[in-house]
Amino acid sequence: MSTAEQNHRLPWKAAAAPAPKSRVRMKKWRFHLSDRLLGWIIPLGILVVWEILARLAVLPPNWLPAPTVIARTIYEMGATGDLWKHVGVTITRVAVGFLVGATAGTLLGGLTGYFSVARKLFDPLLQSLRSVPSIAWVPLFLLWLGIQESSKIALISLGALFPVYLNLSVAMRHVDPKLLEVGKLYRLSSFEMVRRIIFPAVLPQYIVGLRSGLGLAWMFVVAAELLGASSGIGYLMIDGQMTGRAAIILGSVLLFAICGKTTDWMMNAAGTRLLGHRAR
Amino acid sequence: MSRSDLSIDEVRKNQSTSREPPRKCGALDIVISRKMFAGVEGPLTVLRDISLTVQPGEFVCIVGGSGCGKTTFLRILAGLETEYEGCVRLDEQQIAGPDLNRGVVFQEHRLLPWLTVRDNVAFGLSRASSPERSGKVQHYLDLVGLRSFEREYPDRLSGGMSQRVAIARALAGCPEVLLLDEPFASLDALTRIRMQEELLRIWQAEQTTVVLVTHDIEEAVYLADRIVVMSPQPGTIRNLLPVDLPRPRERTSTEFSGIRRAVLDELLAHTVV
Ligand SMILES: Nc1ncnc2c1ncn2[C@@H]1O[C@H](COP(=O)(O)OP(=O)(O)OP(=O)(O)O)[C@@H](O)[C@H]1O
Ligand SMILES: [Mg+2]
Repeated sequence: MSTAEQNHRLPWKAAAAPAPKSRVRMKKWRFHLSDRLLGWIIPLGILVVWEILARLAVLPPNWLPAPTVIARTIYEMGATGDLWKHVGVTITRVAVGFLVGATAGTLLGGLTGYFSVARKLFDPLLQSLRSVPSIAWVPLFLLWLGIQESSKIALISLGALFPVYLNLSVAMRHVDPKLLEVGKLYRLSSFEMVRRIIFPAVLPQYIVGLRSGLGLAWMFVVAAELLGASSGIGYLMIDGQMTGRAAIILGSVLLFAICGKTTDWMMNAAGTRLLGHRAR
Repeated sequence: MSRSDLSIDEVRKNQSTSREPPRKCGALDIVISRKMFAGVEGPLTVLRDISLTVQPGEFVCIVGGSGCGKTTFLRILAGLETEYEGCVRLDEQQIAGPDLNRGVVFQEHRLLPWLTVRDNVAFGLSRASSPERSGKVQHYLDLVGLRSFEREYPDRLSGGMSQRVAIARALAGCPEVLLLDEPFASLDALTRIRMQEELLRIWQAEQTTVVLVTHDIEEAVYLADRIVVMSPQPGTIRNLLPVDLPRPRERTSTEFSGIRRAVLDELLAHTVV
């Protein structure tokens, strides 16, 4: 036993001692915090200058209202309950569209990534469809699906589909064959192979695909709602434009930003959780 | 008195009281008359007229120059290459594909980066009950001396540690034969010597048949009961050299150097310069 025990007393054990590690982490954390504070300086400065200029009526109020006016407009709309209705409608559209698009992207990506025949069949078509700017589909969707919800959902789904499809398909094709061979060595069934090797191997890139799919879903909901809607944040924008109230338009932009950022943050948190130690 | 002062037979007697029951050792009966690959410039014969019998519990090392088909040979034994002329049998059973009765350690550790050390070792044990599985994992992590690292991920391990985890993973399925493809090639000299000692200890404790491919002649003389010398184009067995030195072997002894010299001469005789 003596030789074996000596073997464990190796230099890397000392390197893994907890004390220096936590100190390093602390330092990093403080560094990140100050980084973040730095990032706030310019936006806050702009807000203050903007507020002052608006108050001094240097900026025409119907053109660029003060930040506090925008905040108050949002607050008042929130108080009447109107705002929540519009925000709810938009979020629902994004959620449904994203789910449909991501599901289709996952199915197509998985299929083309796993079976090379499927890739040869579908990939050229999907690649060429991808190069069509998706807004170009709007007239067709309107013709087919009418001006109701379904055409908007279809547009959002289309936006979410491609990044999910592309990332998953490429990631599946690039799973390390050496790891696949390990699965073969242990005689995994095809299903087990997917569950225990392919899925964990593609997960990081799949999550990247889902995140950019969600980002595009938000871009396309704006397009869909600007092109004709009777509710939603995009409708608020059009309404603000019609009635000449810049505060509403700017407030809606702010709402889009907040909603998009929040869902992205949620997605990111879920991804980090799924990836465990690999997320860093 | 350290364990290595005992003879193998004594060690094995002592081992029979340990937790794991003594396993059945595999006997290999290998006949490969021809193995071809479709190369860029037409078909390429990689192995030709190979026949070799490995006794149960024997430690065989395969040495040979780069590209002489050692990895291909081992992959056939593992069941990863199935298209060849010939027949490879393990305990009278023809090898038709991979199976848990053969453990494989590749030149790279091939650990799954998303699993902890413990889950990597348990990878092939999904059919076992959960207490049985954790018992085995503990046993083999103890054996390779990495029990305290069971919760770490592979990217936190050194090369030698990763290779030891790979060995533990290969052993966890209780294979009759352990196949190793240059497992210590990427390690520094000191770690390599330590790993060789550890592998001998594991072999003595687990009583498996071992087939190990190596570039390193000293490694072969230090470890093997028998050395298989291969020559390239097409890869075939040149000679079988028994190593009749008692273990632990003294790397600087005259007998050791003599055998090393003999293996080297054998290799050089078939190298076209
Ligand atoms: N999958 C394959 N397809 C085509 N040729 C192959 C394949 N695998 C190996 N070869 C060829 O077979 C020959 C032997 O390869 P092999 O990997 O078995 O050699 P080796 O003895 O293990 O070499 P090394 O010591 O460098 O690892 C080489 O010429 C190689 O090019
Ligand atoms: Mg090789």
